[in-house]
Amino acid sequence: MSSIPDAIVNQDEKFLADNAKRRKRLSLWFYFLCVAIALISVVILVVLMVSIWSQGQSRLSTDLLTRAHSELEIERSGMWPAILGSLFVCGTCAVVALPLGVGTAVFLEEFQPTNKLLRWIHGFVQLNISNLAGVPSIVYGLLGLTVFVYMFNVFGQIRVNESAGMEIMGYKHFYQVLTLEPGHVVFVPQSDPTKRQTTFDEPFRAVDPDGNPIEISIWTPGTPKPSDPAIRRQTVRAGAIGGTITERNWYYFRLPFDKSFLSGGLTLALVILPIIIISSQESLRGVPSSLREASMGLGATTWQTVRDVCLPAALPGIMTGSILAMGRAIGEAAPILVVMGAAVAKSSGPKHLMDDAVTMPVLIFNWAGRQQDEFKELSAAAIIVLLVILLLLNSTAIYIRHHVQKAQS
Amino acid sequence: MALPKSLQNREFRSTRSGAFSERLIVISLALCATATVLITVGIIYMLITQSAGFFRSEAVTMSGFLTDTEWTALQSKDLAQAKFGILPLLSGTFRVTLIAMIIALPLGLITAIYLSEFASAKIRSWLKPTLEIIAGVPTVVLGYFAILVISPSLQLISEGAFSTFNATSAGIAVGILCLPMVCSLSEDAMRAVPRSLREGAYGLGCTPFETSVKVVVPAALSGIISAFLLAFSRAIGETMVVALAAGTLPTMTLDPTQQAQTMTGFIVEMIKSESEYGTVQYYSLYAVAVTLFTITFLMTLGGQIIRRRFKESYQ
Repeated sequence: MSSIPDAIVNQDEKFLADNAKRRKRLSLWFYFLCVAIALISVVILVVLMVSIWSQGQSRLSTDLLTRAHSELEIERSGMWPAILGSLFVCGTCAVVALPLGVGTAVFLEEFQPTNKLLRWIHGFVQLNISNLAGVPSIVYGLLGLTVFVYMFNVFGQIRVNESAGMEIMGYKHFYQVLTLEPGHVVFVPQSDPTKRQTTFDEPFRAVDPDGNPIEISIWTPGTPKPSDPAIRRQTVRAGAIGGTITERNWYYFRLPFDKSFLSGGLTLALVILPIIIISSQESLRGVPSSLREASMGLGATTWQTVRDVCLPAALPGIMTGSILAMGRAIGEAAPILVVMGAAVAKSSGPKHLMDDAVTMPVLIFNWAGRQQDEFKELSAAAIIVLLVILLLLNSTAIYIRHHVQKAQS
Repeated sequence: MALPKSLQNREFRSTRSGAFSERLIVISLALCATATVLITVGIIYMLITQSAGFFRSEAVTMSGFLTDTEWTALQSKDLAQAKFGILPLLSGTFRVTLIAMIIALPLGLITAIYLSEFASAKIRSWLKPTLEIIAGVPTVVLGYFAILVISPSLQLISEGAFSTFNATSAGIAVGILCLPMVCSLSEDAMRAVPRSLREGAYGLGCTPFETSVKVVVPAALSGIISAFLLAFSRAIGETMVVALAAGTLPTMTLDPTQQAQTMTGFIVEMIKSESEYGTVQYYSLYAVAVTLFTITFLMTLGGQIIRRRFKESYQ
């Protein structure tokens, strides 16, 4: 017969009672510690919101929402171009990242591999996506800078007034030349785009700023100068130099993309692609397999099952994930800063595909880093606007989640 | 028994075109998946080819890059005087990251324990959204918070020992940033621990403290460690906070009150300076990015492997 352990035979009542009391007290203290620390995150959020509100609320005005950044009139600087810019950049990002991300998720979840090689590739792609999610966004920024902005310099580097890269469509080059009437210019369509400058010595055809074709005559210095303004507008001094000016349509397209909102949007798409893939995968995984089996049993092909059964069932989850990812994209500054530069002097939204843009986070970064107190307050006000936009996005996501959860259960 | 009408007059359509379009769709979806692999390949190709422009230069040696204690790529326009030693940037990065981890790991883990072991459903429904909101705050906002609130308070408490831009305020802000991530990942891991383990512990007379610390946390350890590693790599790659709050001087010290330019901070400053494309100083950008990418990649990979390899599976 096994002997009873010593500790059970000779029980020290006092020790046991003390021990139990000590352990219970420790547990209680730990509970209070937990509550206190859990409260810290609430405190942090409150301090964050209150400090930014108190700093920025005095600058919340219509000027902030309707005007552009201005070095001269700091008081009346605004963020309208930045709002437009964020809209364009994130729009591009959504158009590229959503189909690509959902497509990848569908491929990984619904088309399970059948042989060993395919299964290996499948696992590799999966691991790769998890790793991409961990790559710092600034590295994506450098990728965008190298691939979209410079394109490894394959198409030449874009320089102001020297080289416009390889233009593909939507552009018209003109030589711009001054007439004798001060401040009046006429435009001459360019035939050889590599010649950035030309001199005029004989009469030529041109268009005036309204687009009407006119004949231009030449005035040689030394001969009497025409005095009628109408004639002066059609006369050019001999040897006048015309520099290139380019009229761009909205679909203007060139390679490389340079520091355009298109580069920025594409780069952001790379940043949020892993997030979209992972969240879409999770919501596809949540679709009960009985639905799939029923569809297959009725004779539907895999794609028909995906299109008509799985995707509709997973749609709320995919939408929630995508909206959260877009929230991340709107707030993301580092890759945009690297790709599009830190300049904020733009006074309007993008005009054509290759136009540059300012986004809200970059503007906030620029303002926050300045010495003047006005800019610091403006920065806080811009943060409030940005946070309100994010809040709207997130509550949409939460609404979709709750609403659909209720409907499905 | 009469056959159904559709079977009596069989007019089956050919499935050839259907099979063809099915195949087409599978291929295009596979192409989407390939795009993600292309991104990785693109990152690695870009880093190698562009940093080659840096390491090929005569002013740079590999051993100098790894051991020199000065980094003056931004300050000296003259290549002969520029010093390229990554150590000050690494030291800055690790100072900020260390402070961030001191903040984020204990707070995140304990909040996670509270959420999964103690909190009632009502408190959860308040605390979880709070953490989600913090997680959704753009990093540039936290950077602004660091220079608006954290740095002045530190100066106030220490009576001016901290410089305006310092590693600590940036570190605290990065810690706030990582906290929700540590918390939600560890909480997921702890919730996956089956109830029976907890009930067993309570049945043996454990207090709630002993149950959570001695049973639940060890059972969820693989998930918690991978959460730590992911948070670590997130902190190393964090950019906007350090660009705003950590200062622009690469320093090689352990003093948390001083400025600390990190690797990411340097990349931002270099971009802002609009340095000429193609100079050695410009290419040093990519050399820093290679270092950054390698460290974070190893961290994430390690986290993934730990999570898969040591995942406790309960039936």
